[in-house]
Amino acid sequence: MMASAERPGAIEIRSLTKRYGSVIAIDEVSFSVPEGTIFGLLGTNGAGKTTTFKCMLGLARPDAGSVLFNGAALRPEMFQHIAYVPERSALYCWMTGTQHLEFYRRTYTSYDSARAAKLAELFHLDLRKRVGALSKGQQTALAVILAFSIHPKTLVLDEPTSGLDPVHQRQVLDLMIGESSNGTTIIFSSHQIGQVERAAERIAILHDSKVVLEGEVEQLRSNEKIIEAVFDTERPALNGLESDPRVRAISRNGRLIRVFVRRDTELVMRAFAEKQPRSLRMLDQNLEDIFLSAVGGDAAKEAGERDVL
Amino acid sequence: MPAIFTVDPHTGVPIYLQLIEQVKRSVALGVLSAGERLPTVKQLATELTINPNTVARAYRELERDGVIETSVGRGSFIRGDHAAETAAHALSSVASSTFDAAVREAKSMGLKRDAVHRIFGQALERWYPDEQKEQAQ
Repeated sequence: MMASAERPGAIEIRSLTKRYGSVIAIDEVSFSVPEGTIFGLLGTNGAGKTTTFKCMLGLARPDAGSVLFNGAALRPEMFQHIAYVPERSALYCWMTGTQHLEFYRRTYTSYDSARAAKLAELFHLDLRKRVGALSKGQQTALAVILAFSIHPKTLVLDEPTSGLDPVHQRQVLDLMIGESSNGTTIIFSSHQIGQVERAAERIAILHDSKVVLEGEVEQLRSNEKIIEAVFDTERPALNGLESDPRVRAISRNGRLIRVFVRRDTELVMRAFAEKQPRSLRMLDQNLEDIFLSAVGGDAAKEAGERDVL
Repeated sequence: MPAIFTVDPHTGVPIYLQLIEQVKRSVALGVLSAGERLPTVKQLATELTINPNTVARAYRELERDGVIETSVGRGSFIRGDHAAETAAHALSSVASSTFDAAVREAKSMGLKRDAVHRIFGQALERWYPDEQKEQAQ
């Protein structure tokens, strides 16, 4: 038995930086994943999600920064408890599903053959087929089955639903949710914000190699609002609201003003009410809106202007 | 069995608030009765495909509000004591947030206080015609 101190649990990423030649892949990326929670990593293509995962797991050597699993640096014996589903299949084309499972049985002491068989059934996967004969989605399914078959303490999933149909996508999310209820720490990336919105407790948004927003999803949803005001005069004076730290962005369109607020919405709303707008309302933002306004003020601005006819 | 709760993660409303509202509504409408057992956190999380801690947070707040009680190892139940008061309280809090949203919306459309009052009066007259007469007498 391993001592509990050697089991990876909570993940702490501090100022991780990785350069490939003159290109900065990730720049001072920091976030923490509390033990037993699900963490979603969001970002545009090339933002640095995969590089972050590789640096976390020692598959790429960071130029600076550190990664701690339960307060300790990664050690080889920890891999008994870490499962990784890479973005690009790391399976062997010439091996069958059964052979991959056999490989896992010999490698991992916590391998659960009954669970693997059950999962293969769940994903309707024929384990007798060689990986080379499987579709992209079936390969993803096999990688997911392998990852969950070892009851990992830490689960790292890079786009774990790519190529899967909606039914199987939902099953992967349900597996993650069930596993986290049992105490597993999970970090995953996905292009589908809807999935992250459902499954993740905390998120980080990567943009241009940097973390531009990090926090608890429900908290972000409560904090990040849009205040929409219509004034009687064209281009009313906002008296410094433009540089208010509580304000993320402002879009103006004549008498209509939209303010993207990141916190203290009620206070900002009150400050606005003093300017006597004709109409004032607060709009909720879902994670997709929050994501778009975090990865580019321009996207948010355009969205704001598009709405105004 | 159909799920008694549904959530829409894509709205801006936090999921735990959506859940709290639905449990209260179910209690108020008698869909859930006193002593009835709620699904476990894990069951509900996988059923709705939402984060378990979101469900746990909703249950914690419902417990604080006196709507449910949780006993370790047995699960969460709709409170048996003062079930009627709990339901009435739940009902009024659901109604209150609905009114609040309606008034806020009216205000955002630029309606004056008097106009909102008039609309509210008309709605009362329509749905509580008898009480209206009694009050007038």
